[in-house]
Amino acid sequence: MTSLNFKPRVPVFDANIRVGDMHDAPSPCRDRAALLAEMDRHGVDRAVIYHAQTESISPLEGNLFLEAWLGEDQRLTPQWSIMPTAASMAQIQTLHAQGRVSSVRLHDTRTAGLPFRPWAYDKLLAWLSAQHIPVWIPLPNADPDELVTTLQGHPDLVTVLIGAHYVHHLQIRPMLAALPNVYLELSRYEPVGEIEALRDEFGAQRLVYGSWYARYAMGPMLFYLHHTDLTEAELALVCAGNLERILDA
Amino acid sequence: MIDGNKVIDFHGHVGRWDQYGMIDDPALLLHAMDAVGIDVACVFDIFHPDGTTGNDLTAQFVARHPERFAGFAYVSPLMPERMVTELIRAIDELKFVAIKLYPPYTPWPLNEPQWNPIYEFANERGLAIIFHTGPEPQSFPKFVGDIAPRYPHANFVIGHSGNTPVERAQAIAAAQANPNVYLETCSTFRTPGVIEQLVNEAGADRVIYGSDMPLMDPRPQIGKIITAEITDDAKRQVLGLNARRLLGI
Repeated sequence: MTSLNFKPRVPVFDANIRVGDMHDAPSPCRDRAALLAEMDRHGVDRAVIYHAQTESISPLEGNLFLEAWLGEDQRLTPQWSIMPTAASMAQIQTLHAQGRVSSVRLHDTRTAGLPFRPWAYDKLLAWLSAQHIPVWIPLPNADPDELVTTLQGHPDLVTVLIGAHYVHHLQIRPMLAALPNVYLELSRYEPVGEIEALRDEFGAQRLVYGSWYARYAMGPMLFYLHHTDLTEAELALVCAGNLERILDA
Repeated sequence: MIDGNKVIDFHGHVGRWDQYGMIDDPALLLHAMDAVGIDVACVFDIFHPDGTTGNDLTAQFVARHPERFAGFAYVSPLMPERMVTELIRAIDELKFVAIKLYPPYTPWPLNEPQWNPIYEFANERGLAIIFHTGPEPQSFPKFVGDIAPRYPHANFVIGHSGNTPVERAQAIAAAQANPNVYLETCSTFRTPGVIEQLVNEAGADRVIYGSDMPLMDPRPQIGKIITAEITDDAKRQVLGLNARRLLGI
């Protein structure tokens, strides 16, 4: 039964929240307290967060800005951004040595002339795979052929593809079939009935709730998931359980 | 129904757009609609410039579940000689209740004279017209503000409310300046605070829920309204009362 007001009925661990200002777009969420208030309003218990400055300016500096958002209460899990440069890898390896890396994020580098090809990314991906560190990769701007070809060279690497839109519709099924260790984050994937259809074809264990707040509103996809015919066990997996398993690996 | 309120979705498509996963299977749509309490979805077919082909397909689609779907007429100035006669047929014979226009499929901005016969017809009949609007040069919402005062007996619904920030501001300005202009909510740009902005700046009596189904699942789109920080009374207006007033259903 739908109501004019909504709260989730399972624990929620958001896989994809961006904090801080983009260079060309201030965030509506100004600080950690505001983010926690927004999460409370939508019934989100925990979230994986990365800093906006890592997207197209600097993963290294952006990761430093992320520190101010973390706090002591464990509600916000840092996701460090990485790129295939010595400085970036050294930063992540240092954090990893401190036990602070549960996932990393790879932003698009094709616009800067570096394609997602084995010759450019194998060293980085091999290290992540060896350390059992999962990687988040945004689908917008990604080349699907590069993505599949390169990730197939690292079959043990757990990958979460984020931000799929209806323009990626034809890519999703072949990617999930070709890459058994890939998970699909759902922040923007809206073709009618597709959540249930992907559950039927690939299983709920391959789907991960993320809002991509503050790029998108936090509530709508969570509301959607609670109004599918997913079982309560499947809903719990998608809203939190799958992400916990990925990060604990 | 949601909390006893009839819910109308003002923006839906008939026709398949397979590359984007848009499948106009009534069972898929009804499953999604029932899951969130949508009583009636307004549908139209924009893929045939003659109007007749798509309108006939829409009529066949509606006839399968006439209590759940309402048809909107589509015509195009690409075939100007057919526009008015097809509108008369669609409204009088097919019993469609409003008009849909899609400027990006034509070379003409929506305030160019090629569109005037449609506006004159809507004005004579007291009909609503929903436009696709957005950043395309044919589709700027500010053009709706140009035409609305000239046709005071017609109502103009700005589909997607302009979609992106600059165009959204134009849409709001058009609604503020003209009592016969309304703002429709569907978009995959689910930016935080958009629904709140539309309601606060244009008024809850001027905002209309739509989903773009089946290109987009209606569940996350209605989730935008349910999870917005607006009053329950505003939600009732957006989800159905305003559309019922415009369509007389």
